[in-house]
Amino acid sequence: MTKIWTVAELALREVARRRGVLLILLVFPLAFYASRRDEHTGQSIRFVCLGLSWALSTAALFAGSAARGIEPRLRLSGYRAYHLHLGRLLALWTVGAVLSVPYFLLVRFDQDDVRYGAIALIMALTVATAVPFGLALSAILPRELEGTLVLLIVVGLQMVMDPADTAARALPFWFSREIGTYAIDHTDSGYLARGLVHGVTLTLALTALVAIASGIRLRQRRHLRFD
Amino acid sequence: MNSDGWLQALAGELHRRGLDPDLSRHVVAEAATHLRDSGEPPLQVFGPPATYATAVAESVGAPQPGGGVGVARVAMPVRPPHTPGPVRLEVRGITKRYRRRPVLTSVDLTVRAGEIAAVVGANGAGKSTFLRICAGLLSPDAGRVRVHGTLGYCPQSGGTADFLYPEEHFVLVGAGRGLHRAEARAAGRAHAGALDWEPAGRTQARHLSGGTRQKLNLVMAALGEPDVLLLDEPYQGFDRGTYLDFWQQLWRWRADGRAIVVVTHLLNQLDRVDTVLDLTPAREMSA
Repeated sequence: MTKIWTVAELALREVARRRGVLLILLVFPLAFYASRRDEHTGQSIRFVCLGLSWALSTAALFAGSAARGIEPRLRLSGYRAYHLHLGRLLALWTVGAVLSVPYFLLVRFDQDDVRYGAIALIMALTVATAVPFGLALSAILPRELEGTLVLLIVVGLQMVMDPADTAARALPFWFSREIGTYAIDHTDSGYLARGLVHGVTLTLALTALVAIASGIRLRQRRHLRFD
Repeated sequence: MNSDGWLQALAGELHRRGLDPDLSRHVVAEAATHLRDSGEPPLQVFGPPATYATAVAESVGAPQPGGGVGVARVAMPVRPPHTPGPVRLEVRGITKRYRRRPVLTSVDLTVRAGEIAAVVGANGAGKSTFLRICAGLLSPDAGRVRVHGTLGYCPQSGGTADFLYPEEHFVLVGAGRGLHRAEARAAGRAHAGALDWEPAGRTQARHLSGGTRQKLNLVMAALGEPDVLLLDEPYQGFDRGTYLDFWQQLWRWRADGRAIVVVTHLLNQLDRVDTVLDLTPAREMSA
């Protein structure tokens, strides 16, 4: 566990020193929230969750890409691939949790007649899903630009696609709209259950994808043997 | 002074110091590559051409201007009669192609404990590729590598975390090697001291000069005292003093029983190593 905690701690320190990025991360979802503040009550909540997911995925994408240079030598220094990706996941989940608290408080005190517990659940699932989503993109796409473009496409689709459409379920943050409907429009608990299953499944699948991609990239090659 | 002007002046100064023309070309090419890759101004990286030429001439033992026997060489420690230690690194039949172009063809290398092997060759000869294959960072098309012990690797560039302080790098690598924080910091400081570098302080890696970042890279590779050290031109950006310190450190590691593989361009250092692996393709050698 020492190795995982060390990676997590130092990854957190790295993020904390990127003050400009942190500021953008903090303000970005607020812009989404404010853009729909005067419209339908629930739209601003849906948008702030989307903004949060986008901001965190992007942060994870860039953190994952920045680590690509040092991870191979850390692997040679005695780390296993899972030490490295679990440490980074822990660090970014912590950042996400810290970032989402002020937004939950904003919704809590700015919006009436919504199910606050469900809003907290959306934010928790958003943090849980967005981090491995960004890390998975950084693991699969070697260049940040490509990853950023994919993120743009995914979030763009998330905004324009009808959540009732079956294809929309393939999008990583579909659960946010589904649980959002339950929280804002007070629909039946079927929305909550579907959203919860989708969010948990996506989180597990994306975390597994990060583990697999990291394991392949940092594998010990077959031609090399240690005695 | 721009890079071209500086390189031209360096070539003149090297010629004035009687350096072998081939070696001069290597030195100028290496400096040009570094300047192009780093984008840093030559005066900041290497200092004035005359000073850098003097440092190179002294380190490779070139005749001084005006002839004479005043040859200043890097002082190599007196070495007891060589007794080869156990084999630490065995490389057999490494072949690598990029697309259809062969880069490495059936390359073999054996390095024992207490030996330094130098890997030389022209630009594009596959020196870094060879080292990356030895480190297991790249797969060959054929061949195998066997390491008896632990491995440390120093890349030509990169390999550090931009936003971390040097001592945090020591802690990070040290944890992988099973060192406690205090141990890792102390070991890092000791290795840095041998390169005349004081790493304490709150300077993030991205703010270190090119040479100091390479010192950090080198210290990270050596932390935990690995049995085999793979060093890919680790002296890029080193000033004269550090370059000399670097070779002294290499000899100390060799005396401690490490097996070292170092990629180098400075061919006149080759009489101070135990094995030379020349990766220059045969057709270029005969040309």
